[in-house]
Amino acid sequence: MSKILGAVEIGTHKAKAMVGVLSPAGDLNVVSAASVRNKGVRKGEIVDYRKTASAVHAALEEAEKAAGAKIDEVYLAQTGSHLRGAQLRGSSSTAASDNRVEFSDIERASEEAKRKEPEEGRCFVHHVRSPIVLDDRIVEDPVGMCGSSIEIGYWAIEGDNNAIQETVDIIDGYGRLPISDLFVSSIASGAIVAGADLQQSGVLVVDIGAGVTDYVLYRHGHVAATGVVCVGGDHVSGDLSMGLRILEPYAEIIKIKHGKAMVDESDAKEDVWLIGNKTIGDRTVSRKSICQVINARVVELFEIIAKEIGSLLDPEMVSSGVLLTGGGSLLPGIDRVAENVLGLRTEKASFPSGIDGDLAHPGNATVLGLLHYGLKDSAVPAESNGSEGLFKKLVHLVGMN
Amino acid sequence: MSQQTMFSSGSFQSDSSSSVRAKVFGIGGAGVSLVDGLCLDGFDAVRTIAIDVDADVLSDSIASEKLPIGRRLTRGMGTGGEVSLGRKAVDEDRDLIRKNLDGVDLVFLLAGLGGGTGGGAAPAIAKLARESGALVFAFTPLPFSWEKQRHQMADDALAELRKFANAVIPLPNDSLIQIGGADATALECFAQAGMNVSRGISAICSLVFRKGMIDVDFAHLRKAFTLRSGRTLFGYGEGQGVDAIRHALRDLLLCPMLHLPDVSRAADVLLITVNGGPDMNMTALQQVAGSIREEFRAGEHVVFGAHVDENMGDRVEICVLGATDLEAGIPTADVAPAADPVLTTSPKAKKTKPVSRAHASKLKRETAAAKKKAKKQKADPKTPDDQEFFDFMQTENQRGIFGDQGKRNLYEGEDLDVPTYLRKGIKIDV
Repeated sequence: MSKILGAVEIGTHKAKAMVGVLSPAGDLNVVSAASVRNKGVRKGEIVDYRKTASAVHAALEEAEKAAGAKIDEVYLAQTGSHLRGAQLRGSSSTAASDNRVEFSDIERASEEAKRKEPEEGRCFVHHVRSPIVLDDRIVEDPVGMCGSSIEIGYWAIEGDNNAIQETVDIIDGYGRLPISDLFVSSIASGAIVAGADLQQSGVLVVDIGAGVTDYVLYRHGHVAATGVVCVGGDHVSGDLSMGLRILEPYAEIIKIKHGKAMVDESDAKEDVWLIGNKTIGDRTVSRKSICQVINARVVELFEIIAKEIGSLLDPEMVSSGVLLTGGGSLLPGIDRVAENVLGLRTEKASFPSGIDGDLAHPGNATVLGLLHYGLKDSAVPAESNGSEGLFKKLVHLVGMN
Repeated sequence: MSQQTMFSSGSFQSDSSSSVRAKVFGIGGAGVSLVDGLCLDGFDAVRTIAIDVDADVLSDSIASEKLPIGRRLTRGMGTGGEVSLGRKAVDEDRDLIRKNLDGVDLVFLLAGLGGGTGGGAAPAIAKLARESGALVFAFTPLPFSWEKQRHQMADDALAELRKFANAVIPLPNDSLIQIGGADATALECFAQAGMNVSRGISAICSLVFRKGMIDVDFAHLRKAFTLRSGRTLFGYGEGQGVDAIRHALRDLLLCPMLHLPDVSRAADVLLITVNGGPDMNMTALQQVAGSIREEFRAGEHVVFGAHVDENMGDRVEICVLGATDLEAGIPTADVAPAADPVLTTSPKAKKTKPVSRAHASKLKRETAAAKKKAKKQKADPKTPDDQEFFDFMQTENQRGIFGDQGKRNLYEGEDLDVPTYLRKGIKIDV
């Protein structure tokens, strides 16, 4: 019997757990999904371990109950300001006299690229391989091809040991549930909303969560950059609370009911009741004020992303534009702001067919992607052929130290 | 409102026999200009003193006393933003400053914390003031977000100042645009900021120096603010006409100063002062006091003062000043907290150190216990939704949504947890 695999995301508002299987065609079938409000995480990082652990355990329990089975292993998402990505490069010359590339040549280049040790107290979460350059050609698999120098790159993502260990401990605390792998949230979200064709033509996926925004840039079908910006939907609500001088819960409601990322001319003429029940203390404010507060925040968010990615965000190399997902992408007009700031065609992302109803909420992108990526990953029989097995390791070497 | 009017109204009088001595210290460029702009009509007993390393700043000042410091250090030039120079200047002229603090019970420090003198000298002077037994309130303008380097300096200075002052009221320049009108000039905004400081000082002084219809005195004030506080809140509102007091309350609750990231939204100690004309309605006054206490979830330590001034006509002003996190998270500074609510002008306060400390920690425990009790009493959930909302009021709302992580969310020197509109100076109409 095959293993029951699950995915867990410890989000800023919600802890999510899902159980799924792959159809023979490779499509994701979600067997069960659970989401539990968590008050122990701020901006993607755990501030209250016990609250978080109980939320995650409740989500796992609910997902198991709905699936009618015990989960054997889970994939776990990672986010937070402690994650940092960097490009590592290594090169080697072909050893064989006929200049034919052998697997050992790639391995040497790869070793050189990965020689860099993380700083004290930090560890690598991923080494995501970029395309291999054989002399001046970009190639997928150079083994057997002719050339003199091989260059290999990795987008390496490192994180804080303690922050990662805490999330691992929480899963371990659920009856010693084993973790198959860790993935950064951005790559998980990217995997579900951007298919291979989009990744090949170049696409930026931005997942705007409650506490943080994760992004991943694909070029040539590979991850070219990932990042976490510590700004999310909570910031929009917090800004509204201060800007409109109302309590946070009311600000949250105002954001959902009347919030827009763009300021339109007609907004100045529209007055909005802040509490909504017109009782003593309730008052109106121009919708323009609401939209101004949100617009300033959202513009800044995309400006930071643009600054972080830098010249890699070349419109010609990112011809499929920008896909927005995460709960924050529900904000009307946010795609227009992204388009203006990033100078790239922007759409709100959709999920592959088969994921519909409540499941298709953009806030589920990370956990859906995690499950999909994980299942596909585990479906490749590692020992089927020597080179592929090793190659798979190179493609994404995920390791805890 | 002038003191004369107070006398002529007859129904109350300025407590001119008060033995309390108050002094306003303007430290550094921003502090001195705030002192110069102060409108403290009617508080003749309050002396002002301008202190700076920069001789030019002092020569332009109109403060009643001037004290150049660190002359040997900089020869009358400024600090050029060097905090250490500001600190050293105080060290050099420690005795002079002590002399100026002698016998002063209530010290107001006005200092821009983004500068070398303000940032370096203000905490050092606060320390000297506490050592001499004074109650210290600091009003400190903070640099704009875009003044990135200064921002870090101001942060450090603020933390240092909080170790010594009884309450520090930060006045971020970022909020100026929200305070002024949509098309206010920079000058008008700064003038407005100066007005706010004047109001804060006047509010505290009116408690101490004026006899009001609801009277409190320095002992009450001292008792309430005896512990050093972390976050503070400070706000002002005014109203006019029929129902002026309720308009003032509404205006107060919309005060931009109360809606800033580092401002506490609840108060363990709260000072409320109301100034109004002779027609001020007593019932309304009581209701407003109740609303304010509720709004800031004030604990037992509420100091409430109301003053009638014929000059106010049908106008009413309300000012609140609150503090929370009493002695929490603040490393114990090497000064004796003047804990006894006794008017003491004795420079020997130091001798009472162990007693004061013990008293302070006892008070702290009591506050904590009271808080727990309050929580227990109120935690009577009607529906789960109510409970959730209430939990929110108790914790997150009290400290702000990101307030409990204790580190700044910095990106290129700007704190991303501070609303973007504030940092970018976008005026939001409410």
